[in-house]
Amino acid sequence: MTVSAEAAISITALTKSFGRTKALDALDLTVATGEVHGFLGPNGSGKTTTIRVLLGLLRADSGTVRMLGGDPWRDAVALHGRLAYVPGDVTLWPGITGGEVIDLLGRMRGGLNRQRRDELLERFDLDPRKKARTYSKGNRQKVALIAGLASDVELLLLDEPTSGLDPLMESVFQQCIAEVKQQGRTVLLSSHILAEVEALCDRVSIIRMGRTVESGTLGELRHLTRTSIAVETSSPLAGIEALPGVHDVLVEDHHARFDVDTAQLDAVMRRLAPLGVRSLTSTPPTLEEMFLRHYGDDRAADRTVTL
Amino acid sequence: MTGAGRLLRFLLRRERRRLPWWLLGAALLVLVQSTQSQNLYGTAEDLARLRQTIGGNTAVIAMSGPPRLLDSIGGEVVFEIFAFVCIVVALMNMFLVGRHTRADEEAGRSELIRSARVGRDAPLAAALALAVLADLAAGVLLFAVTAGTGLPVAGSVLFGAAVAAVGMTFAALTAVAAQAFENARAVYGAVGLVLGAAYALRAAGDVGNGALSWLSPIGWGQRTYPYAGDRWWPLLLPLAVSGLLVLAAVALQHRRDFGAGLVPSRPGRATASPALRNVYGLAWRLQRGALLGWAAGLALLGAAYGSIGDTIEQYIADNPEIAEFLTGGAAQVVDSYLALTIRMSALIAAAYGVSSALRMRAEETSGRAEPILATATSRLAWLAAHLSVALAGSALALAAAGLGEGLAYGLTVSDAGQVPRLIGVALAYVPAVWLVVAVAVLAIGWLPRLAAVPAWLAVGYCAVVALFADSFDLPGWTQRASPFSHTPRVPLAVLTATPLLLLGACAAVLMALGYAGLRRRDVSF
Repeated sequence: MTVSAEAAISITALTKSFGRTKALDALDLTVATGEVHGFLGPNGSGKTTTIRVLLGLLRADSGTVRMLGGDPWRDAVALHGRLAYVPGDVTLWPGITGGEVIDLLGRMRGGLNRQRRDELLERFDLDPRKKARTYSKGNRQKVALIAGLASDVELLLLDEPTSGLDPLMESVFQQCIAEVKQQGRTVLLSSHILAEVEALCDRVSIIRMGRTVESGTLGELRHLTRTSIAVETSSPLAGIEALPGVHDVLVEDHHARFDVDTAQLDAVMRRLAPLGVRSLTSTPPTLEEMFLRHYGDDRAADRTVTL
Repeated sequence: MTGAGRLLRFLLRRERRRLPWWLLGAALLVLVQSTQSQNLYGTAEDLARLRQTIGGNTAVIAMSGPPRLLDSIGGEVVFEIFAFVCIVVALMNMFLVGRHTRADEEAGRSELIRSARVGRDAPLAAALALAVLADLAAGVLLFAVTAGTGLPVAGSVLFGAAVAAVGMTFAALTAVAAQAFENARAVYGAVGLVLGAAYALRAAGDVGNGALSWLSPIGWGQRTYPYAGDRWWPLLLPLAVSGLLVLAAVALQHRRDFGAGLVPSRPGRATASPALRNVYGLAWRLQRGALLGWAAGLALLGAAYGSIGDTIEQYIADNPEIAEFLTGGAAQVVDSYLALTIRMSALIAAAYGVSSALRMRAEETSGRAEPILATATSRLAWLAAHLSVALAGSALALAAAGLGEGLAYGLTVSDAGQVPRLIGVALAYVPAVWLVVAVAVLAIGWLPRLAAVPAWLAVGYCAVVALFADSFDLPGWTQRASPFSHTPRVPLAVLTATPLLLLGACAAVLMALGYAGLRRRDVSF
């Protein structure tokens, strides 16, 4: 992982408390220019708080935050002309139509690509003439997404932007982000939809309780986790469970199922080979499994952190 | 109807903080009127003089009610206050029923409720039952206030019953409107329009031969003549109409889909107009409706004040006690009347200014400020945009009050010059009103969560000082603490620039301090 000087976002040791609740606890996050960065974490882990600090809406207690070469708090307005933000929970003005909101937000960001706006309206199948009070959650989200995607900006901050979209719209969204990436723009994508993150993201940061617990490419993260192995050998499989890095073993003389730390995979394979491997399936860890491994045990603790 | 009882208990819980204020407001109106009237026209001679001056004044009759009520002191109280109590109680009913029918349906809350073991008519029945309970409570309270201040018991019972019956009519009307329109705003708009028409019809009827008054629920209530004949039978009208309206609402509810109305909402613009290009455009777009409403209301109030300006001289000569309220004494009685009424209008304009400034907080807490502040819009621009509505809007509201009063007074004395004169007089209050708005800005900057409290306290304090300082001999410092006391009592007093400039400077300083607070704090949600 190389952190170049021109990283789009670089956060070190960011801390933010609300009263006695510590929302962010020495969080680190680096997003390189031009990459799509997945930002994962359970509810209440501090994703939205981080994005609000990046937007200069919240003031950091301590730590350093740089975005697009500026200070998000001090240079908020100048930076906001170069980014677009899509909130996870979009609230709109009841009496204003979707088309008007898209235009307003675009103009306030410093310009809207009208052709792209109309094309996006078509692709997301949104009626811009309806008053916002009649939109469903998914349609409100489309309004914010179209406003963000139709702006010519360097950086997109997306906070769970697809939580209300149907699978069809989800795939439109993925196409749009792929295009954004081709244009060399940077995306910070906070998401719960792991398939979406796997499909779109170059690198991923996983946070928990306001702290970054993993960061890297999906390949690097996989390396840190376990691979599931199912093996059948000609000689009995004794002593497997004693090998370093092997977990959750289920042996039945010639058959075995176990998980192995990906770093130890090579050593384990060398031990299996002499036993005469008849069949072997190896399943790389899914993002789901990585996710659950990080949070499964700490879910109860996470619930106490809000916002 | 399954579940209606349980829902009613739930609604009572949801209303436990709001409903008491409506009831208290209605009771206070009557309490003040009853004590004041009995002080001013306690004797039969006072009352006879009042009948002479007021009985022939069409403007006063149009504003209040049928002059037959002036037969007794209790009737005089009903004459002056009945229409206004009815408006308060009708609005209470409109919001009670609207909030728990269409607004809940629009927000998706009743979907959740209706998915449970709850009948189709249960939410409507519970909302109407809540309104009836509130009306009965209002009736009992008004009876207690009138009888408690020494008015005859029989008339007081009728007074309470009449107000309750008018309230129920508007509850039932709201129930129908809630079926017809798809959003709560349209429901309130339609019912508000009917309420305005009800007031206007009875005004026209009371001035004319009385026929039109029989088309108005407020007219039905007034024609029970509490304390001046006590007839109960006109109450059959609001009760029958309420029953029919409820039946109509139920029939409509059975014919329509959940979430749908009879009047489909119109599509709007597909693209934003050039005016909606920045946060200023947005702030004015969001607040223009409210501003028009307040300005129109103040213009009407001004017109009501102005229309009796010319009879004031005669009136004061007949009722020297009133002169005590007017600082200039009997000599400059009209000017001091105009000064007092313009000051009342200015207090209302200050209330508008504060409600407009607090709109900023509503934008912030609802999360709608977040996407705006995430664009290239500075906090200063955001504050300035909303503040421009509050400041220019309150000035506009003052001008509207002056225009209304100037027009009405100018017409009665045949002097067109009264229009610019009274607009100018009203605008003298601009710095004082802006200072009150500045208090709200300061609070938004430094006490965001509690901002509404100091802001409304400032309005309330100015009102108490302006209305009661003279009659209750409040200590001098309490007067000096109100910006309204530093505004010369134009047109009675001579207008001097210094106090106005000082008030304006204070307002500017407070607003700058408020911005300093807003700039350094978190945007809160």
